[in-house]
Amino acid sequence: MLLANNISFRVGNKSLLSEISVTFAPGKLHLIVGPNGAGKSTLIKVLARLLRPETGSVEYEGVDVAQVSEAELAKRRAVLSQAVDVAFPLSVRELVMMGRYPHFGGRPGPADEQIVDEVMAHFDVTEFSSRDYQTLSGGERQRVNFARVLTQLWRDGSSAACRYLFLDEPLTFLDIRHQIDFLKKIGTFAAASDVVTVGVVHDLNLAARFADHIVLLHEARVVAHGTPTEVLTSERIQDVFGVTPTFVESDSGMHLVFGVG
Amino acid sequence: MKIRRRILAQRRKDAKRCRVSKSFPLRLCAFAREVFLLVFCVALLCAACSRFHNAPATSEGERYVVISPIYNEIIWALGAEDKVAGIDLSTTYPPEVKNVQTVGYHRALSAESILSLHPTAIIHDNNIGPPQVVQQLQQLNMPMKTFTAKNDSFDGTKALIREMGAFFHKEARAEDLCNTLDTQRAASLENVKHYTDHPRVAVIHFGRASNVYLVVGKGGGGDGGGVSQMIELAGGQMAVENERMQRMESPEIIAKANPDVILITDYGYDRLGGATDQIKALPGVATSNAARDNHIYRIEENVLNYFGPRSGENISKVAAIIHQK
Amino acid sequence: MTKPHRSRHVLLSALTVVTLLVLAASIRFGAIDFSISEIGRALASLLPGRPEPNLDQRILLELRFPRAVLCLLVGASLGVGGTLMQALFRNPIVEPGLVGTSSGAAFGSAMFFVLGGVLHIGTSLWSLPIAACIGGVISSYLVFLLARSRKDGRASIVMLLLTGLAVNALFMSAIGFLSYIARDPQARSITFWSLGTLSGASWKAVEIVTISTVVGTAIALRYAKQLNALMIGEEEATYLGVNVNRLKWIILSVNVVIVAVATAFTGVISFVGLVVPHILRMLGGADNRYLIAGSALTGAILLTLADLIARLSVRPAELPIGIVTSAVGVPVFIFLLRRRQYIF
Repeated sequence: MLLANNISFRVGNKSLLSEISVTFAPGKLHLIVGPNGAGKSTLIKVLARLLRPETGSVEYEGVDVAQVSEAELAKRRAVLSQAVDVAFPLSVRELVMMGRYPHFGGRPGPADEQIVDEVMAHFDVTEFSSRDYQTLSGGERQRVNFARVLTQLWRDGSSAACRYLFLDEPLTFLDIRHQIDFLKKIGTFAAASDVVTVGVVHDLNLAARFADHIVLLHEARVVAHGTPTEVLTSERIQDVFGVTPTFVESDSGMHLVFGVG
Repeated sequence: MKIRRRILAQRRKDAKRCRVSKSFPLRLCAFAREVFLLVFCVALLCAACSRFHNAPATSEGERYVVISPIYNEIIWALGAEDKVAGIDLSTTYPPEVKNVQTVGYHRALSAESILSLHPTAIIHDNNIGPPQVVQQLQQLNMPMKTFTAKNDSFDGTKALIREMGAFFHKEARAEDLCNTLDTQRAASLENVKHYTDHPRVAVIHFGRASNVYLVVGKGGGGDGGGVSQMIELAGGQMAVENERMQRMESPEIIAKANPDVILITDYGYDRLGGATDQIKALPGVATSNAARDNHIYRIEENVLNYFGPRSGENISKVAAIIHQK
Repeated sequence: MTKPHRSRHVLLSALTVVTLLVLAASIRFGAIDFSISEIGRALASLLPGRPEPNLDQRILLELRFPRAVLCLLVGASLGVGGTLMQALFRNPIVEPGLVGTSSGAAFGSAMFFVLGGVLHIGTSLWSLPIAACIGGVISSYLVFLLARSRKDGRASIVMLLLTGLAVNALFMSAIGFLSYIARDPQARSITFWSLGTLSGASWKAVEIVTISTVVGTAIALRYAKQLNALMIGEEEATYLGVNVNRLKWIILSVNVVIVAVATAFTGVISFVGLVVPHILRMLGGADNRYLIAGSALTGAILLTLADLIARLSVRPAELPIGIVTSAVGVPVFIFLLRRRQYIF
């Protein structure tokens, strides 16, 4: 269970987050949506403890996350960013192995190697194992990073603690097929009962299709949260995004279509 | 979404470009500095190249490594050169010194270089470095000798010649040199009286170590002392009043002085290929009387910069140059 | 497509062997060449009861040996410094001197030359290295302090680069000013020292540099894994549990100390820190454990070779070693720029 308690965050005079309180339950895919500048990325970073809020606290299973050590936290919390830039030739396998860094001291053990093998197979990146990360395409890179993040969160059997996966606009550089693919895989992972998954996406349709729980942010505040149907109403979308949606029913569910005029 | 992606991609490209321009100036500066130093040292090296691979002098008994241009000039004048096993890079006179092994620049020596010549002692004029190497030589109990007399004037020079004559057991020859020096000096001064003008002279010297052009000063500090005396004996006057050698960065030094004649020592002159437009490009030179009348001349460093056995006749040489029309 | 990594262990072993060979050559050849038997006899003269060593043997024991060893150590320091800098700045075209260490050390030595005589600061030969070290430490920490954001004390790498640029310029002009007010003989010492030379080597110098190099490299190796994490970004490294700010301070401190101490005894030697990590990455990839160990060995090898060239090409005189490293380093630098393999 992830709890955000009255979080506020400012930079200079500008308030990026204002009195935000949300509960994120495990076993669900939570997606944060909102217009540019609403504070989505900032919120993710505060939840992941990269940033410290000015007021309020973030709690992981009732424990204030500010009390937990960096190293401990890294064993159960991972963040998938929109892109990872590597300045040196790094093989894919080395990159994925970094996910295990919080779990071993000096050198990776056989268990770590095995985990990496399994995860890479799951994401179909084994063929890239010794390739230079810099030579991969955007979609391939995200698969590799997703693999890395999952190896970081791999259950090593010892603790029963909850695991936390944060996704900071991970779909940005992917084409539509990969976006859908991605969200499906994330959905599978998020369904596990001991995982809290919180992500930021821009595409309202994808959010509507895949999220179990949507948090709508606008001007540093939570405007609404709940199921996609509850949150994404015509008035709200108009209010927050300034565009008028048309709702279209189809076999695959509800879709939003936006007119240009 | 497409627009957002394009914006993000543009931002990434900008960041990359920014990073290039931020680190580039530094890299180029460091790069340029290295290339300049490299070129300078290669030039220095080539100039002295032929002097590095000579066979050591074969003589028994005393073998000296002598690190001083004036000491070496006197030793050759005394006829004691068979005792010299090694010299420094700045020693250029007489021409025969090229046949002797060089141990390097006097401020950047290496103990091994000197000791590989198996000298019995090192003779220097307190102008050697780096200090660590001096200490190493002392630690290895290598005898080091400096002469007490200094060649800061004619009398000083004669004292030095006599002292060195005694050291090398060439007393008679030393006396000859002193007498010649006196006679030539008297003759030169007579000669100089025939010139009616007193040109204002600026002397430009290229400091190899500091890699800049220097204007030589009037006072006794640094290496400039001999120059002003020579100029005055030759019937000129020092145009620039500074006490010691000054870097030529500001054009004001020469421009304010407005000399009638500019002398440039050999290395610095040759470095510009003797091209007049390059010389006039040195700070302050172009507007001076000397540039206007084309009274810019080359002069050998060892004729002008220090007192030595030939200084008597050198006065005439210098006079001949600066009084040219 | 990266070439398949040769076994790193094999590579490191090969480098160790080459290091020993190069060390042997460095001891044997120079202004005077020593044969194996001469070396043996010189070492034997150290045993009790043997006659005092003669001058040649003393040259071997007191000049040549410490010089060869110092060369290895300084080369290792510069190599490791280069790797640490490139890992920290996430930029392959970065040198230890970039954070102001070299110019600070040069400034410290310039102060020593120009003011030491005036103020009668200890005439002990340790004054110069200590002055250089202080200079290097001051300039480097000046860069860190100026580059920190006022808000949370973090120093982003871009700020470090910019501030390093500014501080370098500041100290180089300070050196220029000192050269200006110096009487010419002193100015000569400053310039030639700033080209680098191993000629001042002594066993005392070896002692000090050994400590700094070995301790520094050991610390660096301990943080190798965290430096790896830093390769994918500061944020990502934080998510992997690395305290990035602390890592930066520790690694920068290690870098400053090992490079300043080396520079204090040899003057400014450039390009070793730039070239060595590149060669190793091309051969075996970018893992920092391997890189740090490999850079120590490769730096030692390259600098010893450069010193051999400096000592043999115009013997018995010597070239300043900075000339040799620049002569090799500049073409390599240009080649790397043109290749543009890396993201800047």
